[in-house]
Order: sequence, then C-alpha cells, then structure tokens
Amino acid sequence: MLTLVLGFYMAWNIGANDVANAMGTSVGSKALSLRRAVFLAAIFEFAGAFFLGANVSETIQKGIIDPTIFQSDPMIFVLGMMGSLLATGAALQLASYFGLPVSTTHAIVGAVLGFGACIGGIDAVNWRELGWIASSWILSPLLSGVLSYAIFSIIQRKILFALDPIESTQKMAPFFVFLCFTVVALTLCSHRPDLSTKLAIGLSCLIGLAAAMASRLVVQRITTPSLQTAEGVTPYQAVSLEKALHHLQRVHLSNRDAAYSSEISNVLGHLQRLTDTVRKKTSFLYSTNRYQGVEKIFVALQILSACLVAFAHGANDVANAIGPVAAVMSVLKNNTLSTQSAIPAWLLAIGGAGIVIGLATWGWRVIETVGKKITELTPTRGFSAEFGAAATILLASKLGLPISTTHALIGAVFGVGMARGLKALNLQMLKEILVSWIMTIPFCALLSVLAFYLLKLCFM
Amino acid sequence: MLTIAKLFGKSPFAPLQTHMDKVASCIGELPALFQALVAQDMKAIERVSQQISRLEHEADLTKNDIRTHLPRTLFLPVDHGELLEILSLQDSLADQAEKIAERSTMRKLQLLPEMREDFSSLCTKVVEAFWLAHKVIKELEELLESSFGGIEAQKVKGMVEQIAFHEYETSQLQNHLIKCLYQGGDAMPYPAFHLCLSLIEEIGRLACISEELGNRVRMLLELK
Repeated sequence: MLTLVLGFYMAWNIGANDVANAMGTSVGSKALSLRRAVFLAAIFEFAGAFFLGANVSETIQKGIIDPTIFQSDPMIFVLGMMGSLLATGAALQLASYFGLPVSTTHAIVGAVLGFGACIGGIDAVNWRELGWIASSWILSPLLSGVLSYAIFSIIQRKILFALDPIESTQKMAPFFVFLCFTVVALTLCSHRPDLSTKLAIGLSCLIGLAAAMASRLVVQRITTPSLQTAEGVTPYQAVSLEKALHHLQRVHLSNRDAAYSSEISNVLGHLQRLTDTVRKKTSFLYSTNRYQGVEKIFVALQILSACLVAFAHGANDVANAIGPVAAVMSVLKNNTLSTQSAIPAWLLAIGGAGIVIGLATWGWRVIETVGKKITELTPTRGFSAEFGAAATILLASKLGLPISTTHALIGAVFGVGMARGLKALNLQMLKEILVSWIMTIPFCALLSVLAFYLLKLCFM
Repeated sequence: MLTIAKLFGKSPFAPLQTHMDKVASCIGELPALFQALVAQDMKAIERVSQQISRLEHEADLTKNDIRTHLPRTLFLPVDHGELLEILSLQDSLADQAEKIAERSTMRKLQLLPEMREDFSSLCTKVVEAFWLAHKVIKELEELLESSFGGIEAQKVKGMVEQIAFHEYETSQLQNHLIKCLYQGGDAMPYPAFHLCLSLIEEIGRLACISEELGNRVRMLLELK
C-alpha cells in the first residue's frame, strides 16, 4: 500500500544519506575500506533497527500526537501520517538538492507536529512528550561531547602522554573493549521485561569482561621492540631522575637547618651530574614512531565503535520511517485508534531492509565522498568521537527519544576537539546547526499540512 | 549529507611548515654569502643578496596567505595568538637573512686577522641554530598526533634546549669578536669599523630569533 511505499522511501533516504555521517569517519581514517564499511554498516544498521528500533518508533507513532482525538474520523489520522511521510521525504529531497544539512529526525517530528497541531488542534499534541524530545535535541550533542571529551582525555593521559605508548595501549585496549560491549549488552538486555535491572547490569558486565579478556589475548601478541637504547638506559629513567631532581631542589630551598644544608647540596650536585649523564645517553630521537603503533591498535577499536554507531543509528533512525507507517497500519488493520498497539517485527525488518538497500545503492557513494574529505580523524580520535556518539544515541533509543544522529556525532567531534585532539574545527557549523533547527520544524510542519490537504483531495 | 565533512576546517599547521621551508631556502643561501664576505667578492655578494631578497618575498606571500585563512571561527588546539606569534618569528628569520644580505652589499668587509676564525665559527653556529629550529617546526606534525605531550614533548624539549645552548655559544663568540674589534680597531676607518660591528650583531641576532622560536614552541607543550 501507499504508506508502505512512502515508509520504504524514507528508509531508503536515511540509508542513502545519513549512514555516511556515521561510517564516513572510519573510511576517512583508513580504518575500513569502503566495501567493508558498507558491509558492516548494512549488518549493524539492520540489527539496530530490528532489535532496538521499537522504542523510538512507538514514540513517533503515538507519543507525539494522541490518536484518540481522531476517533470520529480515523481516516484523517491515517492521511495525516501519510502526509507527514510525504512531506518529510520531499523536504529531505529538496534539502539534499540544495546541499543544506537537514536532520531526518527533526523533519519527521516537525511534520507530525504540524499535522497534529493544525488539523487535530492544540490539544492533540502531547506537549510534555514534545518537551522531552526538544530537550533531548539540545542535550544529546552535549552529552556525546562530554563523553568523547572524557574518553579522549583518558586516551591522552594514559596513552599519548605515557613514556611507552604502545605498552599503555596494550593495557588500556581491553578496558575500552569492555566499555563498548557492556554498553551494547546493557541496551539489549534491559530492553527485555523478563530480566531485572540488576541481572541485566550483571549480564552486560560479564559479556564486557569476556570480550575484554579476548581482546587482551589478541593485543598481547603484538610484539614491539622495547624502548631501550644501546647502553641500556630507558627514557623513563631520564624523566624519573629529573623529577627526583626537582623534588630535591624543593627540599633544598625550603630547608632551614644548617646541618642538613651541606649534605643536601652535596646530594644535589651528584644527582645533577647523574641526570645530565643519563639524559645525554637516552636519545628520544628514534622513539616517536611509536604513535603509529598506537594508531594501528586503535584501528581495531575504531572498527568496533563504527559498528556501534551503525547499530545505534539503525535503532534511532528507523523510527523516522516506520513510526508513521505503524500508526497507519494499526488504524487500517484494526479499524480503531488505540494507544496500545505495538510495532510488529516485520515492519521493523522492512525499515531495516530499506536502510540497507538505500545504503547499498546510493549511500556508498556518499560515504566515499565523506571519507575522502575527512582524513584527519586518526583512529584514536575517531574511536573517542564514535563511542561518545554511539553511547548517547543508544541511550536515547532506549528512552524512546528520537534524536538527530548527525548532531550527536558533531557534538562528539567537538568534544574531542575541546580536548586538543584535532587540528582545526569549523565553529561555523554550530551556527548552521542552530539555523537548521529553527528552520526545519516549521518548514516541515507546513509541508505536512499541505500534504495532508493534498491527500484528502485525492482520497476523499 | 556532507555535514560531518564540513565540520573540519583547513588546518593551518601544514602551511606553517611550508612557510618554514621557504624561510629555510632563504637561510640556505647564507653560507654562500658568508664565504663571499670573507673572500671580499662583491659580485657574488650582490648575486646572493638578490636571490635572498626574492626568496624572502616568496615567504612573505605564504605568510600573508596563512594570515588571511585563519578566521576567528576556526577552533584550534593551540591559541590563535600563539600560532601567529610563531609565524611572525619565522618571518623575522627570513627578514633578518635579508637584512644581513643587504648590509653585506654596502662595502667590502675588513676583518682583523685575529677575528677571521671566530667569524667563520659564528657564521656556521648561527646557521646550525636555525636548522635546529627548522627541525623543531617539522616536529609539529608529530606533536599534534601526541596532543602536545608524552615522549614527543620530551623530545622537542630536548631540541629546544639544544637551540638555547647554541645561542649561548653564539653570544660568547659575538662578545669575543666585538672585544677584538674594539681593542684592535683603532687603525680602521670608521665606516669599515661600523660595518664590521653591525654585521656581527645582525648575524648573532639570527640565533636569538631561532631560540625565541624554540621557546614559543616549548610553551605549547604539556610537560609533566
């Protein structure tokens, strides 16, 4: 039926355009080849849509507008939802033609809102829910920014600033793997009503630990030449000696007792000479291609986090296509308007399939373009940003809040930038995001009302 | 949509390194100039001087290019002011080279016999100090990768200390030369005396600027 086609078209659109923002960073940093990226994205987008897409879909289906208002004439509700889909599709097509950044989530929410407010009246709209959604649009980029900042700060302090980066990476990698797997397991487990919260958390932690152990085995096998110079003196000793020197100088300065003074200055002199000799012997000169080794290990982590983002994206964005379709389905099948109907699994599967097909036919081209332009996101930075974004999007999907995945990613990248991780970021994007927020909703609302009247003319 | 791609701005760090390479080509002409100075070959001095002028102009074009493409809305891991300072210092290195070249063309340089050896040492030391500073700027790429900390920062710190030591040695040589000049320069005509003094000071200034450049980069580092 027409609604299905429209929903499928939306899903196709999402797959074609939105996925690039999620996977482009991994292709750009050469963590994934284009083929592998598309393949992995397809699997995980579908998985996310199928397994976790129901929450957000329900919100769009019946959370924003109260369907019972339309009891007198259910067809209006049906046409309204179809109109929303049509309007959003048109808006997205226009936006991509003109090269404007428009979020699919903002578009569909705006469209549904427009239909509800204009046709159903002010009371038809669930303003509380809308308030939640609006605040989540502001909070999600912030949260993902904070998360990425935290993750990258950890990477910075423990790995980049360490005296043996590769060894530190080998120690920290299992921890990051643990984080990734726990987050995914948590979102999947607490989704089921048959597991209590404690059991869910426990199970997720176990899965995370198992993955961490496995990754530890993999990482330990990477042998690297140890950081020793020919004379057997490590840079670690040089730096430690300098620290000891500073401490001793502090003692010397704060010392008031004349008896100890000469002894301290004696030791100070010896230590100074020792430090100088050790420093001369250690040459830091050939120790800086270590960072390439670190990046290599992080490539695997970035692939992991990219899959996570694809999963989260599928979960959150499939609702944009399927939510209205589900609403229409429930009305046409049961001929009543209820607030209780759940989203059928086959519908989620169709949504997921739509995204995958969109990705396979057109999306890969966009991923290629994005990947060519983003070459500065090295695996360490990419991992931090993607993990922050993925965790935020997963959380929002769990809570049933539709958020813009693109904005979450942008927030995450800014988070990494704040931690001094990136070379140059365009703050202009913040202005663009604000403008697109303000413009999208009224525009889509208007279009949706227009579409509704159009459909009414056709069908009634 | 290409939203994520538009997020990344044009990094000014690569152009900064290109500018330093252009400055290096200026300074690269200096050893030939110094040789011609000592040999009192005015034709060669003229030729090299014009070459240095041309190269300095090219470096200036790159510098202006960088400055125009550094909008306030670009978010960098270092302060805008610090970046522009480093650029300024690189530019003053090229300017200094041009100044030395111009001075050399004024008149034939008369060196007292006891000064010859030290003068050659001064020239080599100063150019060495510059090449060390050049190496430091080349390390910017790695520094960005390590987020300005860790062993990379220790390495750059060591390099900067080397430049400082070179500057100290240059200072010593300069003082010694000027002392010789004051003590033995009674017989020299005033213009020749002044040219000698002026050239020694200008050449020494090159090492000073290199040290300042090194210090500016050191200020960016996160050393524990």
